[in-house]
Amino acid sequence: MDPAGVFATSFERDQALIRTRGQCVALVLLFVALVILPHVLGPRLVAISTNMLIMAVVVIGLQINMGYAGQINLGQAAFMGVGAYATGALAIKFNLPFWLSIPFGGCAAAVFGFIFGLSAVRIKGFYLALTTIAAQTLFHFLILNLPQSWFGGSNGLTLEPAQIFGFSFVSETSIYYLCLAVTAAMVFGAYGIVRSRHGRAFVAVCDDDVASGLMGINVVRTKATAFLIGAFYAGIGGGLWAYYVRFVAVDQFTLFHSIWFIAMVIVGGLGSITGALIGVFVIKAIQESFVTLGPSIVAQFPSLGGDVVFAMMNVFLGGIIAAFLIFEPRGLMHRWNILKRSYRLWPFPY
Amino acid sequence: MLSAVSPLYSASQSRAAQNAAVLVADGIRMAFGGVVALDNVSIAVGVDELLAVIGPNGAGKTSLMNCLSGFYRPQQGEVRFNGSLLSGMGVHHIVKAGLARTFQGTHIFSNMTVIENIMVGRHIHMKSSIPSAFFYFGPCRREEIRHREVVEEIIELLEIESIRHQPVGSLGYGLRKRVDLGRALAQEPSILLMDEPMAGMNTEEKEDLARFILDVREARQIPVVLVEHDMGVVMDLADRIVVLDFGRKIAEGTPLEVQKNPAVLKAYLGEGNR
Ligand SMILES: Nc1ncnc2c1ncn2[C@@H]1O[C@H](COP(=O)(O)OP(=O)(O)OP(=O)(O)O)[C@@H](O)[C@H]1O
Ligand SMILES: [Mg+2]
Repeated sequence: MDPAGVFATSFERDQALIRTRGQCVALVLLFVALVILPHVLGPRLVAISTNMLIMAVVVIGLQINMGYAGQINLGQAAFMGVGAYATGALAIKFNLPFWLSIPFGGCAAAVFGFIFGLSAVRIKGFYLALTTIAAQTLFHFLILNLPQSWFGGSNGLTLEPAQIFGFSFVSETSIYYLCLAVTAAMVFGAYGIVRSRHGRAFVAVCDDDVASGLMGINVVRTKATAFLIGAFYAGIGGGLWAYYVRFVAVDQFTLFHSIWFIAMVIVGGLGSITGALIGVFVIKAIQESFVTLGPSIVAQFPSLGGDVVFAMMNVFLGGIIAAFLIFEPRGLMHRWNILKRSYRLWPFPY
Repeated sequence: MLSAVSPLYSASQSRAAQNAAVLVADGIRMAFGGVVALDNVSIAVGVDELLAVIGPNGAGKTSLMNCLSGFYRPQQGEVRFNGSLLSGMGVHHIVKAGLARTFQGTHIFSNMTVIENIMVGRHIHMKSSIPSAFFYFGPCRREEIRHREVVEEIIELLEIESIRHQPVGSLGYGLRKRVDLGRALAQEPSILLMDEPMAGMNTEEKEDLARFILDVREARQIPVVLVEHDMGVVMDLADRIVVLDFGRKIAEGTPLEVQKNPAVLKAYLGEGNR
């Protein structure tokens, strides 16, 4: 939203995402910060940042599916897992380079997600949540029971580093840049999708499916498409993950992870790509600071014991999510928009 | 203001030259369990006419709208739109074929702004694929801007410029119904059905909406079917009136004819005495 007195003079301007010089400067600064980050921060913080970038892709997918199209999805980690396994298998069995195996991994996840989307479009709310949990279960069942030569079964898959023109993405810094490039592209694409007729169709079917049908929107196909896009994003994130960790195993993609993804969407704010990014950052930052603080708390209060402290942390984080659901169900992005609106109208109260 | 309407609409004007009924319902019967909502109702909507359907509460007006727009499949009889049978067509296909309707009450996307709502009305005319939306700059953006211009004309026609960026959920009922009309217009329909658009409005809002409906007719030259509960409102608007009572068509004719029809007087006075 523009500050008071700034008005769009053309439809192009009106639709543009970056509308003031301030926004432009902020974006450039953010980008510069992201580029120099590995040279400024220590290896652990770079690793956390890489993690955040990968999660950002997955959570943006969930945001499109859940925040825009209103389809609750407790299977996003499974979709990510499908992408990771497909990428891994393609890289190992067919020697595909990463710039092919990651997109194909995304497509494999998209197909998996679309199938669930199709079966889920006629169900709503709680039962839809249950159906998507089935995606999680099915994923685990398939990986563990398909022939071991396909996806490694319970041993998982071990990958060679991603390579291009003889360069290997081995170092923490190089893989960070790879993730940064892919994530930036996916974020850009997400803004495009949600601003297009597809994004409007997603919000429309979420708001009112009768009225959507009346607008000539194919409600069933639109909801399934939302799953497809959400799963594609998860799959791309999974592919990055496969090349980052270079080891893929089922226990990296559990229901627990899916719930965290949902928490990120909720804390950031439903229905906003920027919100998804904020949610990833905030939740991951809190999680990591707990991991860092944990041992020192244990050292302070040895009588508590490590188990209790770490259990308490999960309870605390769960409490934060619950508090958000109760007090700020529309997330941090909503709060920010309110602030911006009052700034735009300042010094008048309305 | 009306002369500013883009040449996009000239297609519907040439259609007005043909002289045939656009939407025809023939011998429709619709029952819900024991309740007969429509009993052997036939109507034909001519090119470029404003047909009002009136009747007391529960007369079957909404049921008729739902049959005419393909939401319900009548148990007997058939509905034809531009000659083709509606039954068996999915609602979104019927919409693409050029039929637009507004609902009784509001079925509007309250989380979207006014512009977004009307842009959704353009959905059927937009083609950009998901990959092109992903890249956005290029064909997708050009398409957005082109359709945004059409939307802007509608916003001007309905005089809602000042609220174009407001979420519809924050608007009053009268404005919401105007957005609802704008969204239907954005579809560039070849016929427009409106179910009690003025119910729940105050006199001023009713007059505004009546004026906009007349403006729309002049600009688009399309037939409009207007359902109304209150006979007074449609007397000046309608070319022709169909009166329903207890699921049956009890009268049909010009406003003057209908006003004098004893069966209509009985239905309305009867309602008044109830
Ligand atoms: N989906 C439905 N299920 C059961 N009965 C229905 C249904 N829709 C309508 N009816 C019944 O059919 C009859 C006609 O209803 P309808 O809604 O068409 O009337 P209406 O003329 O639109 O009334 P109003 O002026 O209140 O809008 C009523 O008796 C109503 O109870
Ligand atoms: Mg009704």
